[in-house]
Amino acid sequence: MDLVTKAKWDRAARTFDVMAGRGPEQRWEPYKREFFSHIGSGRVLFLAIGTGLDIRFFPPHRKLVGIDISDKMLEMARPRIEAYDGEIEARVIDVHDMPFEDDEFDQVFTSCTFCSVPEPVKGLQALRRVLKPGGELRMFEHTGSHYYPFRWMMNLMTPLSRRVGPEMNRETVANVEAAGFTMREVKHVFLDVVKTIHATA
Amino acid sequence: METRPYFVLGDLLANLVVGGVIGGLSAILFGPGWNMWLAMFVGMALGMALALPAAFGFVALFGAMEVMLPVMTTGMVAGMLVAMGAAEGPIALGAGALLGGKAGIGVLVAVYLANAVIKRRAPKWTS
Repeated sequence: MDLVTKAKWDRAARTFDVMAGRGPEQRWEPYKREFFSHIGSGRVLFLAIGTGLDIRFFPPHRKLVGIDISDKMLEMARPRIEAYDGEIEARVIDVHDMPFEDDEFDQVFTSCTFCSVPEPVKGLQALRRVLKPGGELRMFEHTGSHYYPFRWMMNLMTPLSRRVGPEMNRETVANVEAAGFTMREVKHVFLDVVKTIHATA
Repeated sequence: METRPYFVLGDLLANLVVGGVIGGLSAILFGPGWNMWLAMFVGMALGMALALPAAFGFVALFGAMEVMLPVMTTGMVAGMLVAMGAAEGPIALGAGALLGGKAGIGVLVAVYLANAVIKRRAPKWTS
């Protein structure tokens, strides 16, 4: 397990909901509700469940495996996991070191995750390994921008932001393709920065 | 385009406040002794740097990137405009704040328009 990343998110767990729980979650609510409506009835992996802020957007009666690198995050998520009208099996697992079988899942969901995975292409390749052939990868992510002045700002912010949380200038769409997925659709939520990505293994 | 009043008003408030504060500070810090080009670059950098911590307070209330990116741009533009103006001739604190606030509204309108255009280009995958 990547202990440096784990320690960073363990530290962030206590204040995470203060920053992300109100403004960002309410602003993204319509988009996230639509995004998570695609959770199917097969075997579903949710990578980086965090403090469980997204659980309220899950359709009821689904069975998911929710993993996170931080046990402190999962502690915060526990009440939301227990309140969910379905089943969530929460486990402390690093995406780079997942104990799942090849082709085990029908779908993988991520939400603001690949701004933080230290080796994004390797992490995405690990997700591809556990997805069935043709299985879906659905991501709600923020990435870098191709447009001035945002690209420039996000490049400047990243050395600072990566110390306490996410990187701001990730090339996540390109990383998904580099990991061998077939791209189906990219929808922009805000500028070319916040977006949903739909790809298949 | 964002149409929910809470977020539209929140965006307006964040950009007005940050633009006004950075415009006011720039009016104090810069003056006719400055070379205009140097004032422009220092004003831009200082405005953006000061806008980042200010943005965090608004992020918790109104949204993440939707707040951070316009507010940092506002800081940059407000710092630049007022610093350049002050290098040409003294600007009073209130006038600097007013110019910074106007810059904030201008930036916000530009970001809303850019967002509407870029969202339509979604099929052309970027980053």
